Amino acid sequence: MIGVRRFTQAEVSAYGFLSATLVFCLLPFLWVALASIDPNASQFLSFPKGITADHFIKIFTANNGGRWFFNSLITVGAATAVVVVVGGMGGYALSRTNAWWKRPFLYAIILVRILPPTALIVPLYKVMLIANGLMGALVRSVVPPDSTRSAMQIVGFVDGYLGLILVLSAMQLPLALWIIKTYFDLTPKDYEEAALMDGANSFQRIRRILVPLALPGLGAAGLLTFIGAWGDFLMPLTFISSAELQLLPIGLFRAFQRANTIDYGYLSALAVLYMLPAVVAFGFARRFLIQSFTGGIKG
Amino acid sequence: MTYETRMAWQNRMLLVPAFVLLACFILIPAGAAIFISFTNDALNGFAAAHPQFVGLKNYVRLFSDQGFWNSLLVTLVFVFGSSVVGQFVLGLAAALALSRPIALKPVFNAAILLPNAVPEVVAGFIWISMLAGGKYSTLSRIVGLFGFAPQNWLDFAPLLMIIVVNTWRGIAFAMILMTSGLSAVPAEVYEAARMDGATARQIFWRITLPLLRPTIFLYMLVSTAGTIAIFGLIYTLTRGGPGGATEIIGIYIYNQSFSAYQLGYGSAVAVIVLGASIAIGAIYVRVLKVQV
Repeated sequence: MIGVRRFTQAEVSAYGFLSATLVFCLLPFLWVALASIDPNASQFLSFPKGITADHFIKIFTANNGGRWFFNSLITVGAATAVVVVVGGMGGYALSRTNAWWKRPFLYAIILVRILPPTALIVPLYKVMLIANGLMGALVRSVVPPDSTRSAMQIVGFVDGYLGLILVLSAMQLPLALWIIKTYFDLTPKDYEEAALMDGANSFQRIRRILVPLALPGLGAAGLLTFIGAWGDFLMPLTFISSAELQLLPIGLFRAFQRANTIDYGYLSALAVLYMLPAVVAFGFARRFLIQSFTGGIKG
Repeated sequence: MTYETRMAWQNRMLLVPAFVLLACFILIPAGAAIFISFTNDALNGFAAAHPQFVGLKNYVRLFSDQGFWNSLLVTLVFVFGSSVVGQFVLGLAAALALSRPIALKPVFNAAILLPNAVPEVVAGFIWISMLAGGKYSTLSRIVGLFGFAPQNWLDFAPLLMIIVVNTWRGIAFAMILMTSGLSAVPAEVYEAARMDGATARQIFWRITLPLLRPTIFLYMLVSTAGTIAIFGLIYTLTRGGPGGATEIIGIYIYNQSFSAYQLGYGSAVAVIVLGASIAIGAIYVRVLKVQV
């Protein structure tokens, strides 16, 4: 029989539901996508009469957007590197050890992951103030007075990059430890032992055997760290105040709060630029997502 | 030194950096929260330089503070509305729909995942265009087609709106978990049920849902903890307003500490939240018998 296959009722409702969900999920993006290329962009959805790339060009030529973007890239990139290295070492140790502290440590990681950062922010602020005072004294003793301020912008803990990088790392570290530990659990010890028998030293074992073996696990941890830190809003909001150190999420947020003078086309372009790395990383990280959500539970 | 002791020391050394990071920026602050909550510490003024012990004063104040109880209620409604109902129902429905052979599956999948992938600020930014601005907002124009009056939605129904936005953002999470739960159910179970003449509705209520129960429980715990921790999404949309209508507990802590400058009182609220979170975590570890 030739003809159109008849859809069952279940199929019709499945397609109907999925289409409605698709519209619900994508509709909010329509405005930002159109506004970012619309020469006369407004806060509201309208079909552009022309197309322009000016908003995107302006990010890197005229305004602070480019600086915010690079600030974010530097701090989040550094935090990701810290997490991959520290998490790689720790994850390996957690996988290989049989010491008494193994279980308590792993349970503690799960509990730590559940603590909301908003509940930690006040004491964290205090800790950072103290650390900043100590670092300030150290910097003043080694750096000439006229460059203290710029030095503190790099190594300071409040309104400085080192503190922000370490805080972002600490927040993402529990998940990374978990993922990397789980990954090492799946890689046999035999390779390391063989290398040891062949007389390889520690450095060679790490470089030739462990890092190549663990690369997928380290990559997954790195991707998820990047996504988490890139999207974080609370930490840069609390710990960065100088305009020249501002990260993209806060710059975008503050610019958007400024009534009357909002350039919607420009901000939309900035928002699109901001979400692109996150979306790309998310695409790569998709198959690790279950682990990231549940912390390694076998469902 | 034997090989074993050397390895034991090596493992300990390798964990030191991770432990130091976690201790400095998570464990010590968590402990310090308890300490600060017994003081009148402030962000500025006299108390900032000379914080003093005030005993249980912050906690006493907390229990008689309308703002705190309001915030708890808002948190409860927000968690229930967005993660227990909104994300779960839509995520389960999406997982069920996508579990059958369907055309354009990757497109539907990607569309549902996209809201989860964007940073919170971008989510807030684009939803303001959807909701604010009276008759110009996208939502007002849509409901206008059906003859409803335009509204400034974030003033008209603020809590409902942040529930909708968070549902939008989190369908993917529920869907991914439910998909993994569904794939663990053997196909023979469904076949046997159909042989016995069960209807689709019976299969869903009698087989799918009971077999998904562990996954659903896991989802509820993780997503409750995650939803309580939300900050940027609500802060960019409403900052907790209007009049505390969307001030979930995390926003309340932030506003009390950094807008009202009362670090001691903010810490008392934080201690309550930390306690509740640890309880959720303990249930999670216990009931799900996490393998470590």
